[in-house]
Amino acid sequence: MTPALAISGLSKRFDNVIALADVTLDVAGGEVVAVLGPSGSGKSTLFRCITRLTEPDAGRIQVDGQPVDPLGPSALRRARGDIGVVFQQFNLVRRRSALANVMTARLPSLPLWRVALGRYPQALREQAEEALRAVDLDAQRDQRADTLSGGQQQRVAIARALMQESRVLLADEPVASLDPDAARMVLALMRRLAKSRGLAVLCTLHQPHLAAEFADRTLHMRSGQIVAGADDA
Amino acid sequence: MDIVKNAVGPAPRQGEQDDLASAVVSRTAFVPLLGLGVAFYALCVHVADVDFIRLVEGLPRLAGWIARSWPPDLSEIDVLARRGLETVAMATVGVSFGAIIAAPLCLLAARNIAVSPLLALPARWLLNALRGIDSFVFALIFVAAVGLGPFAGVLGVALHTAGSIAKLWAETIETTEPGPVEAARMSGAGRLRVFLHAQLPDALPQLSSILLYMWEFNVRASTVLGVVGAGGIGQELKNSVDLLQFDRVLTILLVILAMVTAIDQLSAWLRRRLS
Repeated sequence: MTPALAISGLSKRFDNVIALADVTLDVAGGEVVAVLGPSGSGKSTLFRCITRLTEPDAGRIQVDGQPVDPLGPSALRRARGDIGVVFQQFNLVRRRSALANVMTARLPSLPLWRVALGRYPQALREQAEEALRAVDLDAQRDQRADTLSGGQQQRVAIARALMQESRVLLADEPVASLDPDAARMVLALMRRLAKSRGLAVLCTLHQPHLAAEFADRTLHMRSGQIVAGADDA
Repeated sequence: MDIVKNAVGPAPRQGEQDDLASAVVSRTAFVPLLGLGVAFYALCVHVADVDFIRLVEGLPRLAGWIARSWPPDLSEIDVLARRGLETVAMATVGVSFGAIIAAPLCLLAARNIAVSPLLALPARWLLNALRGIDSFVFALIFVAAVGLGPFAGVLGVALHTAGSIAKLWAETIETTEPGPVEAARMSGAGRLRVFLHAQLPDALPQLSSILLYMWEFNVRASTVLGVVGAGGIGQELKNSVDLLQFDRVLTILLVILAMVTAIDQLSAWLRRRLS
């Protein structure tokens, strides 16, 4: 079976610093893979290269069997829509509601005037409400993002990723800004969604005990390489 | 020797040595720079023909005019109020036209959303050129092109203000958080959608505040546009000064003061509400 996310030989160098060295990994649908490693080990670069927010120097990236690495700008824009991303700092639009933030996932299909005025079609609103229900935040749908707690904001970010209906979810240090209780809640939620929706989750973490508790597999990175765990796949 | 070393502390590292070197250079350069500054200022005073004796000689004439201005001539207060309104209208419409011109310009000029550096650079040149030429100068040109009256003032205000608004708006957009933009880009959306959804809401209070400030500023600036024939209360001011009607001049100055104070207060209140 084709893995939801397949990476082979991914490399990136910044001047004389090797950020990624021949990284190869697969994540299957419904699987939660944690990436552990010290700061500067290449975890964030790995994520940025998968989404091509940073261009890799070499390597292959496939999402749902479709290659991402050779795509031109407009095809890349479309392909990015197939990758849900959760960021450490949530990256929500502070002055927009939780629902409008979830709607971020559908920006490409919305007419400009709807984007500008924040007036969304009823069918999409219902879908966004469902995504917020999936993360237990339907009661806060009209609340401005900057009035939500850190844990709630990260759940809105997960709902935003769900709204994309992608098969892959990349979570870059998703609990680094959260207190322990909120961190466990967010990781449990991601695991539940991975299992119930067949989502492939690749998640960087700093805490080995959280990785052991919530991930199916743990990879260790050091100096841009996966030094342990890759063979468990 | 060790005692001396300890007394002066540890030897500076390379970075500290560089800082030390630049501090010494700064101190060495300070005196000639100060001398150059003083020389330039002296040149400016000479070129500007500053002559306090002439001022002292002119003071009695000035005092005579002030004495003749009281009591203010209120016989044409309705005409002056209408002219004041014309000035406010000129600034309001001019700023609105300026904002319409500034909107696409700032999108092209803001470095974090610019479509291409090839377009950003000419956009920045254009807005700097518009900003560099005062609305007074633009109005002078437009009076020749479209004739006397407030419309020439509107066009003058619009062009100069477009440059100023575009520059301030572009700088505001450049300071918006990159995180939400990255998240919106990850949805596959294009630049304009990303801007409208992820940047505009956070920047909007500041953008509106800039617009209000420019309106307030232009109401003040427009009071003199009448001097070049661009209508408004400035035209009445010039006519009255030319005819030495100082009681009327005082009334005009009081109308300007009341008008500008009211607009300042309104604008400040609105900006406070926005922040």
